[in-house]
Amino acid sequence: MSAPPSRTDAVPALAADDLSVSFGPKTALAGVTLSIPRGRVVSIIGPSASGKTTLLRAFNRLNELTPGAVTTGAVRFNGIDLHGGEVDPVEVRRRIGMVFQQATVFPRSVFDNVAFGPRASGYGGDLHELAEEALTAAGLWSEVAEDLDAPALALSSGQQQRLCIARTLALKPEVLLLDEPTSALDPAATARIESSIHALKRDHTIVLATHGRRQAARLSDLTAYLAGGELVEYGPTETLFTNPRDPRTESYLTGRIP
Amino acid sequence: MTAPARRRDPLGMACGAAAFAVAAAFAVLVAFLAVEARPVANPGFLLEMPSRMADGAGVGPALAGTLWLALLTAGLAVPVGVGTAVYLEEYAPRTRLAALVGSALASLAGTPPVVYGVAGLALFVRGLGMGPSLLAGGCTLAALALPTVVVASRAAIRSVPQGVRLAAYGLGATRWQVVRGEVLPAAAPGMLAGVCLAFTRTVGAAAPLLVLGAVSFMTFAPRGPADPLTSLPTQIFAWTKRSEQDFAALAAGAGVALLLVLLAMNLAVLAVRRRMEDASR
Ligand SMILES: Nc1ncnc2c1ncn2[C@@H]1O[C@H](COP(=O)(O)OP(=O)(O)OP(=O)(O)O)[C@@H](O)[C@H]1O
Ligand SMILES: [Mg+2]
Repeated sequence: MSAPPSRTDAVPALAADDLSVSFGPKTALAGVTLSIPRGRVVSIIGPSASGKTTLLRAFNRLNELTPGAVTTGAVRFNGIDLHGGEVDPVEVRRRIGMVFQQATVFPRSVFDNVAFGPRASGYGGDLHELAEEALTAAGLWSEVAEDLDAPALALSSGQQQRLCIARTLALKPEVLLLDEPTSALDPAATARIESSIHALKRDHTIVLATHGRRQAARLSDLTAYLAGGELVEYGPTETLFTNPRDPRTESYLTGRIP
Repeated sequence: MTAPARRRDPLGMACGAAAFAVAAAFAVLVAFLAVEARPVANPGFLLEMPSRMADGAGVGPALAGTLWLALLTAGLAVPVGVGTAVYLEEYAPRTRLAALVGSALASLAGTPPVVYGVAGLALFVRGLGMGPSLLAGGCTLAALALPTVVVASRAAIRSVPQGVRLAAYGLGATRWQVVRGEVLPAAAPGMLAGVCLAFTRTVGAAAPLLVLGAVSFMTFAPRGPADPLTSLPTQIFAWTKRSEQDFAALAAGAGVALLLVLLAMNLAVLAVRRRMEDASR
């Protein structure tokens, strides 16, 4: 991928244009059009199976790894069509980092987990420095600094989730896709992750899929409400929460739809 | 505190009984073989040449032949089989052709060994001009082992959690990095089990080698793949066809030698597997 022609606010970091994704007969996303401005936090909210994960995975071309997945429409990263012929999906995933809903650590040491991405891309710098930086940003450094060679599987599930965040941060991606990053965490750890997200906002564009309506309200500049694979409403978080245009959004926010 | 009450578990008891029966049957089998083989129980037996005289005959060439065949079979079937499995699971598009290849392999795994012998005779012995050599035998046994290796390796690859692949791809790994670094190490213990199974089936097979034209009276131990085809199972077969009692002892002795070879191979695989599991922890 070449550098984008211009990096003004006019070109959004990510944009979906009439994006549809189906898995065999099942339509997971139906004609979604939205753009994610650079340097903002955008929340994707919606009931279970509404397509949040599928949308995030469309942003870094992960859906195509699922046999039978069919994507139509366009996704643009800094204005470049991600499905264009010269675009390398490996490069896309290095620049658009993703943290998965289910934390899956590699059965290796904490350090090797954090070093995975940089090693895969042939990082030439100091891996230890990078690992410390990433683990600190994910709020895990103080807990693992003593023993970076400990097996990652020996961590608690909340720690594993933060390790997965650190692992993605070590890629130094421009965009972070966070899929329910706090679903396995207690309130204290959740608060720590949320403050990390606040800090990361300075030099990242962040897309956050979450079930936590209040988390979306606390963290994001813009919020998108998905239901049944369709984008129902998208706008400034405050407007969407206080004055939703669509009755479906309103019933979701007031808890009438789980 | 009291000890937990012992719950009645009929299925568990039945399985335990079955396992015990299998172990007992195996012990009886080995005991009979050992008693039968007592007249030849001396270390020279493993090195001596077979002869028309039962007295002083040994399994030297047959043992060497079996070791050569094991080596050739492993060298051919493991890389080709694992490579095929990796290709079908991780690279090949999920087309109808790929599915067809998969089910063809599965049915080949159930094809009787003697049929491989017939094919090997036409292809390796005559077609490629290898003659009745250890190489022809190794190629035939490798073909016999291949489907089992592929089927077991595919199952092992498929049992690697999809989350691991996704996590690696999500961190910008290339397909080769994912396969080499994540999938293969996680699948290796399962693959080894499949290789072990294929080997036990293969190294003990007499029928395909007899069809190829194995010899049973060699006066020297084979030193390379081009030497004449001989093996423990075919040697056993030749000896059991003779009526004298002494040859029965020889056959039993060769049977014990074959079991020892298989045991050694299984222990070696187990040791490798242990090390792999330790390394991945
Ligand atoms: N790999 C897959 N194979 C088949 N169907 C899938 C696959 N992934 C997602 N789907 C389907 O696509 C739809 C959207 O799923 P998705 O995971 O995007 O929802 P979600 O909003 O993230 O849900 P949740 O809040 O439960 O995580 C669902 O109906 C799901 O069944
Ligand atoms: Mg999801």
